Amino acid sequence: MTKNKIFKIVLIVIGIGILIGGSIGYYMFNKPARDVQNTKTDFSYNASEIVNEYLTDAQKANNKYLDETGNSKVLEISGTVANITEDFNNQKVILLKDASDKAGVSCTFTSETNSNTKNVKIGDRISIKGVIRSGASFDEDLEMYENVIIEKSNIISNK
Amino acid sequence: MKKTAILSIVAVVAIFLTSITASAQKIVSSKTHFKFFSSTPAEDIEANNYKAFGTLETSTGDLVFSVPMQSFEFEKALMQEHFNSKKFLNTKANPKAKLVAKIANISTVNFNQDGTYLVNVSGNLTINGVTKTINEKATINVVGGKVSLISTLNVTLADYEVAFKKGKPSTNIAKTVEVTVEATY
Repeated sequence: MTKNKIFKIVLIVIGIGILIGGSIGYYMFNKPARDVQNTKTDFSYNASEIVNEYLTDAQKANNKYLDETGNSKVLEISGTVANITEDFNNQKVILLKDASDKAGVSCTFTSETNSNTKNVKIGDRISIKGVIRSGASFDEDLEMYENVIIEKSNIISNK
Repeated sequence: MKKTAILSIVAVVAIFLTSITASAQKIVSSKTHFKFFSSTPAEDIEANNYKAFGTLETSTGDLVFSVPMQSFEFEKALMQEHFNSKKFLNTKANPKAKLVAKIANISTVNFNQDGTYLVNVSGNLTINGVTKTINEKATINVVGGKVSLISTLNVTLADYEVAFKKGKPSTNIAKTVEVTVEATY
């Protein structure tokens, strides 16, 4: 093998390396946000269960449900519809809360799933799937209980 | 005679307590929008959060916001992951940011009359588990009895131990970011 040939092969290998590295980098930089609805459900609960788990030990619950990169656990929550509103981004927000509970689960929908809430009424028993963002707690400055927050929601069942 | 005295004391206390509750006018946010905006020659980065919750005490001017940090959404998933990570805002350990402030000149706001009122907000802002004092201006709008509040906070990331020592984030994220707050009550 001549020196020239070795040089050529090395050059090609380096070239391919740069190409692969570059495409991985490009993909990583532009990778889309996780599709929550197509992600496997990690836990299924009644609204009361997750609320009470948080009110009992918020730190423990945060460790269990929150993820360091923000890709936190995907939950299915069943509960009674206590309120239906809309946020500044025109996303539907459904509060699942039992009358006897101190806090509820506030579920925000998306522009794709908003229309699925059309037939939902206050008092309905429904199941929602979404990603948890933060837990329930009593805030002494607000002097109120804060709800568990779920986003990227969609309706799983409406009975 | 003694009985009447006790009864009248009870009555006075009762009236006093009701008047306190009546004057305590805490209004609760119905919609909020927190926007994080960073501008550098390299790029502009924006993130939006619609899940904050707040209260405003219209008689004392006590203003509180609780902001779930994982609800900030970025255009790029990778940026969002960086934002949440231990190196930056560590949202697993500190899932909420909080503003506990007071509007000093709340008495200049007439909540019964439509108008735009400029107010001064000062208090404590806690981000990433670090609390710092802030002094900012805000605008309160009253339209048909509906109250809304708008403000812009300039947040110097290093103050909250959000350090971008090396790598891309250090050059692409501004040292001071703009946080726009919008809330209707």
